Formats: sequence, C-alpha cells, structure tokens
Amino acid sequence: MSALRFTPGRWGERTTNAALLLWYAAAVLFLFAPIFAAILYSFNLGVVNKQTATITGWTLKWFPAAWNDLSLRRSVEASLVVAFWSALISILIGSALGYAIVRHPSARIRAGLAGLTYVLLIVPESVIGISLLLFYGVTRIPLSTATLVAGITPMVIAVVALIVRARVLTLDRRVEEAAADLGSTRLKTLWFIVLPQLAPAIAAGGIMAYTFSFDNLVVSAFLTTPQINTLPVYLYGSLQYGPSPAVYAAASAVFVFTLAMLGVAGLIFRWTSRHTAAPLP
Amino acid sequence: MTTLTRPRFATGAADHIVAAVPALWLVAFFLAPLGFTVVFSFGRNLFGGVELAFTFDNYRTALTGFNGTTLLRTIIFAASASALCLAAAYPVAYFLARHTQRRRALAVVLILVPYFSSFLIRIMALHMLMSRGGFAESVLNALYLHSGPLDVLDTQLAVFIGMVYAYLPIAIVPLFVVLDRIPKPLLEASRDLGASRFKTFVFVTLPLSRPGIATAVLLTAVPMLGEMVIPKLLGGSKGVLMGQAISSQFLQSQNYPLGAAMAVLVLLVIGVIVVLLARLTKGFAEVGQ
Repeated sequence: MSALRFTPGRWGERTTNAALLLWYAAAVLFLFAPIFAAILYSFNLGVVNKQTATITGWTLKWFPAAWNDLSLRRSVEASLVVAFWSALISILIGSALGYAIVRHPSARIRAGLAGLTYVLLIVPESVIGISLLLFYGVTRIPLSTATLVAGITPMVIAVVALIVRARVLTLDRRVEEAAADLGSTRLKTLWFIVLPQLAPAIAAGGIMAYTFSFDNLVVSAFLTTPQINTLPVYLYGSLQYGPSPAVYAAASAVFVFTLAMLGVAGLIFRWTSRHTAAPLP
Repeated sequence: MTTLTRPRFATGAADHIVAAVPALWLVAFFLAPLGFTVVFSFGRNLFGGVELAFTFDNYRTALTGFNGTTLLRTIIFAASASALCLAAAYPVAYFLARHTQRRRALAVVLILVPYFSSFLIRIMALHMLMSRGGFAESVLNALYLHSGPLDVLDTQLAVFIGMVYAYLPIAIVPLFVVLDRIPKPLLEASRDLGASRFKTFVFVTLPLSRPGIATAVLLTAVPMLGEMVIPKLLGGSKGVLMGQAISSQFLQSQNYPLGAAMAVLVLLVIGVIVVLLARLTKGFAEVGQ
C-alpha cells in the first residue's frame, strides 16, 4: 500500500474507527453518569431534609447524618450478615456444582446439573421472589435471616458455578488420574489436587457472590420483615416518600467501599494467577 | 478430548456428594418453590388463602382485560428494549474486540464497574438526573435540544431509558467474547477475496457472532420480562409491567392464584424465547459458548 496515495478505503476506515471509539466513550459516559450523580447528590443541601433534583448548596453533613441514622445503620448491618452467609453457602455449593457439571462420571447427571444451572439464570427474580413467599407461607416457615439467605442463594450459586465450571474445563484431567494411580482417594484428590487449582476461580466467584448478595433487592423485597431489613430494601422503601440526601451519602459510601473491595480482589486475583502454575495445554 | 478409552478411576462417594449437595439445595430452595407457584396457579382464590383446585380461571383472568394488555405490553417492551440494548452494545463490543490491545483489560473493566455497583443507587440517581430541574434538563437546554422543564420521568420513555441503561453492560459481555474469538485470518481472507470491509462485516462477522447475539438477548430480554424496580421508580403509574403486576397480586391484592398464573405465563414466554434462540444458534455447539 502506498503511503502517499489517498485512498477512500483508508479514509473510510479511519472514520469507522473514530466513530467506534466515540461510541465506546459515549457508552462509558452513559454508564458512569448516574454513579457520579449519586456521589454528587450526597453533597447536596436539599430542601427540608429531602433530596432535590436541583443542587441547592453543598454540605458534608449528610455523611455523619447517615452514620447516626440508626435504621440505616441496622439495614447495613443486616445486609452485611445476609451477604456473608449467602456468599459462603454459594461458594461451597456453587463450586461443587461447577465441578460436578464437568467431571461427574454420569453424563446424564452432568447434563441435568448444567440444565438446572441455566434454568436458574433465566427465571426472573420476581418470579423466584413470589415463589419463595408462597413456599415459606405454605410450609409455615417463619421469615428470618436464614430464610432470606436461603432464598438469595440459588441465583448466586449459578453464577459461582459458571465461573468455576469455566476453570474446571481448562484443568488437565490426567493430573487427577495420576493422583488416583498413585493411590490417592477421590476425596484426597479433590482436596489436594483440584481445590488448589480452582482457588482463583473460587475467589473470583466468591467476590461476585458477595457483591450480588449484598445488592439483592427483588427477592429480598419479598422476604424481608421489619426486623430484617437489608440496605437495598430500606433504600427502596425510603424512595416512596422522598429520600433524604443522607440515603445518597450512605449509598455513595457503600459504592466506594465496594469499589475498593473489588480493586483489592482484582489485585489478589492477578497475584495468585501469576504465582500458580499455568494449566497444562 | 478424543474418545480414547482411558482407565476409569474409581468414582467414590465423593463424586456423588459433590453432585448431590447442590442438587438437593436447589431442589429445596428453587424447584420446590417454583412447583408451588405452578400448583397454585390452578387453584381458587379465597382472599388471602388458596383452595387447591384444577381450574383455568386464573389464566383466563391473566390473559384478558388489563392483565392481558400488561402481558402484551411487557413482551413488546422487553423485545424492543432488548433490541435497542443490542444495537447499542454491538459497536462497543466490536470496539473492545478489535481496537483495544494494550489497554483492553482497562477498557473492559470500565464497562463492568457500573454493573457491579449497586443497581438501586444507579436507578435512584438516574431518577434524579431525569427529574425536573435535574442535570439532563440543564444539559439538553444548554445544547438547544430542548427548552423548558423536562417531563420525561413517569413516562414509558423513562422506563425504556432505564432498562437500556441497566442491561447495557450485560449485553456487551457475550458479544465481546464471541467477536474476540472470531479468527483474524478469516477476516483477512474475506478481504483478500475482494469483499469490502462492510461486506466482510455483514457476511462473515455478523453471522459468526450469532451465539453472542443469542446470549445477549437471553441475558437482557428475560430479566426485562420480570423487571419490577425500574418500571416502578422511573415509570410511576404509567409503566406497569408484568413484574410489578405479579408482585402487586401478592403484596397488595392478595390474589395468590392469579399472581401465580401470571408468573407461569411469564415463564412460558421465556420458554418460547429460549426455543427461538436455540433455533438461531443451530449449528453452534451451545448457546453462550
């Protein structure tokens, strides 16, 4: 290709590339705009303790106000507890599921488990929410933190299972067979050979599990009681009567905290994947 | 893996435990509750209670009048919002797959960070941005694209914007994964054989990205069918969709059988979508692969 000749194809290519870059930048801007707005609005003075669309003045007072709001703080505590248990259960069960989908000796069971995982991902949360409400109502199980955790876990388990499954697919089966040949029991192989290789995927899945559980709104909205009110449900309720800017302050603080946690997790993930042997081709 | 016969190692109890524990948990807290919904959808309403029966009355009520319109509107809404999401996501995914090299991780993370921050906070903020006197109004007025107060909130347009906003990242990811896997030599071959860039895109790239399109539709249209938060917060009384209609049967009207029938109808619509998408990706190994 001659560098001097001006070809329309070249020009067309440049315009397309520029347009693509512009489109990408616009998408990022669109996606981030509400996040910046949420942070901005947490410094807004508001009018008589209510949030307003027009910035009426700047203040820092909503952050201590949010901290001192007892019901807001209780809801954050409830969310932390629910997310902890939900993430823990989802990591254990989701990892087992992700492994079994790939490695279970029976092809029928593998297909069944994979099908179940996909179904989990396509049933809308609102349908799961009302189903659980019916279920707990008919079986007369009183709503509690435990019933909420149990209700959130299925969807989160599916997410963890898919991440772990992707990792299991890259593992060399012969390593497990070698362990068996050398006299390792199946349980020992799982614990000493498989688990360490899955660690980065389990860690990544665990972080997603925690984030999703903490953020869960729809299923939680059906299963919370006045005693167990998680943060998203509390915020959702407060929107009905016009929230105070303190709600935005709490939300922004949680957002910055989540981002920091994801950042740390990303660094750990990079570090561990660099320091563990790459899977055999 | 080939079909070489390999020495089968003993499958101990461990294998069965690893499969049985997730299966039992999911049956108990997912399939059993769904089963209750299906059974109740044939029952009779006793105002706060349910008499088990086998009647199609709930389905008749769910498919006619206001409920029928809501179902139809939800389907049209999910289809069009999903299509718009896909149209907006495709160029982004294409850019990520073809035009990022060194900064690719960063470019992908920028798309994903919003998705991992609280959904409710983002919708709340979107609400503020679109309110009268909010930033969208100022910006549009400053650009002379609009004059006076902005009345977009509590309309179906606001719900539409909210839906596209919320589901854009999850539409980009599967498209990016598929576009990234299309071998470069294939595109070069198409160019060498005389196809223009445009023709290469239409006849090579687009057909090969079908599994990604199917997954993107699945991941956007399906949750949109059950979405209840966005319509409520951004659409007010104008944007009632199925998710909200179902939840109000449970939380306000206490007509459990009708709510259950509406939920089963949504699941049936989803089933149809899955079958159609499976058709679209016929010849590819797996949807989402």
